[in-house]
Amino acid sequence: MDVIGKSVPRKESPDKVTGRAKYTGDSMETGLLHARMAASPYAHARIVKVDTSHAWGIQGVRAIITGDFCDVLTGEEIRDRPILAKDKVRYFGETVAVVVADSEVSAKRAADAIHIQYDPLPVVNSPAAAIEKNAPLVHENMMSYEKAIGVASIPGTNIPSLIKIRKGDMEQGWRECGTIIENTVSFAPSDHSAMETRSALAEISPDGRIHIETSSQAPFAVKKYMGLYFNIEQGRIRVKTPLVGGGYGGKAAIQLELIAYLASKAVGGRKVKIVNTREEDMVTSPAHIGLEARVKLGCTDEGKIRAAEIVYLFDGGAYCDKSSDVARAAAADCTGPYAIEHLHCDCYTVYTNHPYATAYRGYGHAELTFAMERALDVLAEKAGLDPLELRLRNAVVPGNTSPTRNVLTASNLGNLQACIGRLRILAEWDDWKIKTIDSHKIRAKGISCCWKNSSMDPNASSGAVISFNADASVNVESGVVEIGTGTKTVLAQMVAERMKMAPEHVHVRIRVNTMITPEHWKTVASRGTFMAGRAVLEAADDAIAQLLRIAACVLRTDPEELELGYGKIYVKADPSIHIKVKDICYGYTYPSGNSIGGQIIGRGSYMQSRMTYLDPHTGEGRPGPEWNVAAQAVEVELDTREYRYKILKAISVIDAGKVLNPKGAEGQVMGAMSMGLGFAGRESFLFDGQGVVLNASLRDYTLIRYGEHPDYVVEFVETPCVEAPFGARALGEHGLIGMPAALASALSRAAGVRLNELPLIPELIWRLKAGMPHDSD
Amino acid sequence: MIPIDFEYYRPAAADEAVRLFQQLSSQGKEPVYYSGGTEIITLARINLFQTRAVIDIKGIPECSALAFQDQKLVLGSALTLSRIYDSNVFPLLGEVAAGIADRTSRNKITLGGNLFSRLIYREAVLPLLLTDSVLLIAGRSGVKQIQIDRIFDRTMQVEKGDFVAAAMTDLNYLSMRYAAVKKRKIAEIDYPLVSLAAIRVDGMIRLAFSGVCAFPFRSRLMEEILNRGRQPLKSRIEEAVGQLPAPILSDIRGSAEYREYVLKNVLSESIRELGGA
Repeated sequence: MDVIGKSVPRKESPDKVTGRAKYTGDSMETGLLHARMAASPYAHARIVKVDTSHAWGIQGVRAIITGDFCDVLTGEEIRDRPILAKDKVRYFGETVAVVVADSEVSAKRAADAIHIQYDPLPVVNSPAAAIEKNAPLVHENMMSYEKAIGVASIPGTNIPSLIKIRKGDMEQGWRECGTIIENTVSFAPSDHSAMETRSALAEISPDGRIHIETSSQAPFAVKKYMGLYFNIEQGRIRVKTPLVGGGYGGKAAIQLELIAYLASKAVGGRKVKIVNTREEDMVTSPAHIGLEARVKLGCTDEGKIRAAEIVYLFDGGAYCDKSSDVARAAAADCTGPYAIEHLHCDCYTVYTNHPYATAYRGYGHAELTFAMERALDVLAEKAGLDPLELRLRNAVVPGNTSPTRNVLTASNLGNLQACIGRLRILAEWDDWKIKTIDSHKIRAKGISCCWKNSSMDPNASSGAVISFNADASVNVESGVVEIGTGTKTVLAQMVAERMKMAPEHVHVRIRVNTMITPEHWKTVASRGTFMAGRAVLEAADDAIAQLLRIAACVLRTDPEELELGYGKIYVKADPSIHIKVKDICYGYTYPSGNSIGGQIIGRGSYMQSRMTYLDPHTGEGRPGPEWNVAAQAVEVELDTREYRYKILKAISVIDAGKVLNPKGAEGQVMGAMSMGLGFAGRESFLFDGQGVVLNASLRDYTLIRYGEHPDYVVEFVETPCVEAPFGARALGEHGLIGMPAALASALSRAAGVRLNELPLIPELIWRLKAGMPHDSD
Repeated sequence: MIPIDFEYYRPAAADEAVRLFQQLSSQGKEPVYYSGGTEIITLARINLFQTRAVIDIKGIPECSALAFQDQKLVLGSALTLSRIYDSNVFPLLGEVAAGIADRTSRNKITLGGNLFSRLIYREAVLPLLLTDSVLLIAGRSGVKQIQIDRIFDRTMQVEKGDFVAAAMTDLNYLSMRYAAVKKRKIAEIDYPLVSLAAIRVDGMIRLAFSGVCAFPFRSRLMEEILNRGRQPLKSRIEEAVGQLPAPILSDIRGSAEYREYVLKNVLSESIRELGGA
């Protein structure tokens, strides 16, 4: 068969393009109650009084709950977050009260009618302000919180997590450097902007069982953490997730489910639905992390980077959620894909009074890459080296070690030099880097390289079950959530390839139900094809082995003599001797009526192996399985009148190991590039001096639209990853990672200034050109 | 979701609409005229719009007019911005209108709705100001014709219960040289940093602005300065910008300094384009 490498159309597409696809928020039924939130207009304030008397006067109100309703603190890394704000609010948009009512309108009216009196507190409005001496504390009792392994907080500060990476000997490193530079970068938190806003439904049945439906990337984590938070046996919690309309990491956080659960609890367990408004989805639910970083780099006269000193201040916002883990992922890969022997990195996650951060596509890597690549450009300039040449000379190769001291191999790394080589040709890098078009227009290019390891819990696993229909078509059940990546179609391709059958005859179940679907840890970290792929292949092998055993009886030979393919099991030496799969997949019946075998159910699972926590003093450890690499470029045309610009071309060359579904892969990379360019160019929360988000609506928060897209060029290099199904590497995030750095590089070259902050709006370029103050001053 | 309950009326004639308005007002329902509805929907869902009755003017024939009458172009206030652009009858208005929101929204947003927008931009007013257009205003005393500059001062100053049924523009203006420039913060679809409409009438350039100050305007004083033939353009622009009717906006889309810089560029380019350098 030749299914792998074919652009098999996505299984869910017909439903989606006809509008039939059902998402969590589409769920409606008789007796359903609705919840709406009242959110804080302050970034930091004491809650003085919550007056619900007017709200209770609204018809149809069933319950109104506030922080007093539940004492539980939640959080995956640090249990620091009440489900509803208690005593004080810590960010603009934080949920203070929830109303449950007969209709959504009643719930909204009542939520709007709750009068909340606040006493404003001094606001921590940036990472730099968070670490100032005598900064107001966002969490007074940080040290009393329960923490996950490896989270090291600094008492009496706004620093919930400090991670240290140490490698080599810094003094020696700097001594070897003829050129040393220092560069700082910054950007504020932003939004994921998934098309589907988050939504959840919760019901507590009379026997205490909890039913959750949620637009989540992590239904199994919802089950696990709800069990933990509320001390409920996990088997009594069932979580269902249908199609998800884009996650980008934002739906891996557990937030709205908890509110839905409390809301249901408040009305005697009746089913309650809550759907985020766009505004709530932007600021109330967790956001994309912000960063301030300083990178000091040095290279020899030959352009070999010998030393790097990096300080990150990640803006985790008001609660930790995943921010310290995003920071850990960034720290573990802090050098980018470059071999740097002497390394010192201090990675702080800080509390601020900003919306709190969770995972975001790239998981810390677009962030570290922006810091590192901007520094590399400065280094190239100072050392008088071509930026691409500098990257090529320092590109990691098998035999080098990672910042966490892992030995890199061709399998766990991929081939960055090949990516750079191909990028050099596609971007026509050697022909020109900057050119004048007319009296106002300048074109320029910028490049960036990146790598990304996948950060997951060390024991993360995935399971799969394959069952048959009587016509020998198969059903694949996997815990991967279909978030728009087409992963389930790729899993079907893998099964079809392994079982030598047509992919149309492999049926995938889109909806996940944690009660019956084998667990897939979380649909994050570009691990769907890898982990679920390994699981379905094992399940396919298991099913094949069972088929061969039955066929061996019928054909009177050993299973080893047999092979499966094309709907049959045949004798390898003489394929004319065969039996159809449909005649044995539900057991085989002899002419007499005697039957053997039974229905075939294949099972498979995969768990990452040899992962470790990082050493708290040196960062040594194995945080993830592979560092997949990519090289990217952006070409811009800058109008020197108002410094408006067009992005003409964006290029990604990614080592995909093996491209499983070319159109699918291309779409993933293009979408990621678009997202990276949006994040880089325009998407950022704008805060006033009091930490209030000024653009928490799509009226004011602009996304890239049709007509604004550049020409996307996507190519792949194929260096197989030995452990991965068919050698395929992760590629769902790489397209994004280098875009901010490459865009900043291209614009810096075109404008003749150093752009080190995001978003890259024309006014920023103008300010730098005019020598005027700007945010990072 | 719109959390307010309101009554909906769709009168078939202007006088009926006006009567309804009075009647609903006296019942304390604070009625509003409704045409495209984009602002009602988007503002009501965030509690920034209240009413207990809407009067849909789309059923009133005058409001959907798109006709030439007595050497004038008549554009009904319920025409959508897309319709005006697609008809190409008033290229300057069409072009300015096509810069508002996105196509999907413009399929709903109407001329009248934009003139009465609660947002500060109201860009559709710019071409009408430049062409001394006359508004057909329905009210208690019947339909009046009022030149726009007598009724538009930062916002539409119509009496409560009156509504604009149509705009009439002298045909001569429709073929005059014009410039329409809209500069935004970064996105192709956004409110303006600076939106400028200009037209050359008998050798003189008229200019109207949105996004520069907290309201749209045409300034005769600035026109006088900018049309001084003997003074170098750069100094005319400096002088004219000193005569803006209000401080330059400074907000999340751009600082006042950057807006001023962009404004000067836009002025320089537009005036050159219209042969006023």
